[in-house]
Amino acid sequence: MINGLPDVGLVGLLAASHLISSLKLEEVGSLESDLLPPMIVLHGGLPKSPVRIFANDSLIVLISETAIPVSLLRPLANDLAEWAQSNSTRLMLSLGGMAISNRQDVDKPKVFAAISEKGLESKLNGAAEILEEGYIVGAYGLLLRRCAETSIPAIALLTQAYYNHPDPEAAAVTLTAVNKILGLDIEISELLKRGEEIRLRSKDMMHRTQEEMSKMNKSHEYDLPPLYG
Amino acid sequence: MSSDSRRGGREEIMATSEISTIHASGWNIATACIEPLYNLMVGATEVVLTIDLPYVNQKQVKLGCPANDVLEIDAETSRKITFKDLGIKHRHGEFTCYHARIRTPFPIDETKIKTKFKRGVLEVHLPRLK
Repeated sequence: MINGLPDVGLVGLLAASHLISSLKLEEVGSLESDLLPPMIVLHGGLPKSPVRIFANDSLIVLISETAIPVSLLRPLANDLAEWAQSNSTRLMLSLGGMAISNRQDVDKPKVFAAISEKGLESKLNGAAEILEEGYIVGAYGLLLRRCAETSIPAIALLTQAYYNHPDPEAAAVTLTAVNKILGLDIEISELLKRGEEIRLRSKDMMHRTQEEMSKMNKSHEYDLPPLYG
Repeated sequence: MSSDSRRGGREEIMATSEISTIHASGWNIATACIEPLYNLMVGATEVVLTIDLPYVNQKQVKLGCPANDVLEIDAETSRKITFKDLGIKHRHGEFTCYHARIRTPFPIDETKIKTKFKRGVLEVHLPRLK
């Protein structure tokens, strides 16, 4: 299962959306919660939930077209882990960004992986560097811990990105890592070619996401943890 | 569009951008201006500002300091952008520029401002006024 929720640079959402269209995944469900804003999103003239699930025979992808409210983060992480456990999910792969202050000087962003158990290092196939120390604020951190507690293999891929500018280049690098980990062949050239359009079209979504990131103290991720593991 | 109406519209943008609790749409049809996303990183000796300006070339960016704790950014886009270009059919509007007015947390030395522009992102280093 792949998660593409909006956070730093909208990396996960942009990567997962591109993956859905590249693999022509079918919409199979949605997530409903009273904790979500009272809204729908129209696509092709039809009302949809902003948090939807797409799938084919081997892959399930969750994306959200609305910023996830802080109050929903913990129940969402718990419910996703519970669902994954009851459906014997082989891997929970969350895609996101890691804010860096010198993003403009970085031509090829690095991908880091936070893993729920040591044995998962071999699954990375060299696609990402293990994140050994640090904080992860938001749904992916909570989900990783819940998966660790319930023995669901989980990886959070966090790619260096702008904090609050949509970053399609970081999304493309993330998909290259996903290709290596899952043995896929998703073409990223279109994502890069449409970069400016994607950045402009995602502007309002990024703004809303930034508001939620402020509420959850996302900047905590810049801090150094005081204790050694 | 007359320059007066354009100026008036910009003042409206400034007013809304300074009310942080209300999210204006950021697409001002009257002035054909988009309010860009920006990020402020506050350090001890400087503020580093990044501004996302897709469809802008470096030569089209203009900076100004109307006060020593305010930075104004204006940038013409390299092409006209419409909602239709972005896949939105029910809204009409054309945009040819970005405008932002950003207040810094301390007075800055406008004579020592440094800028970098790469892949449509403007980075501005604003040293603290001594």
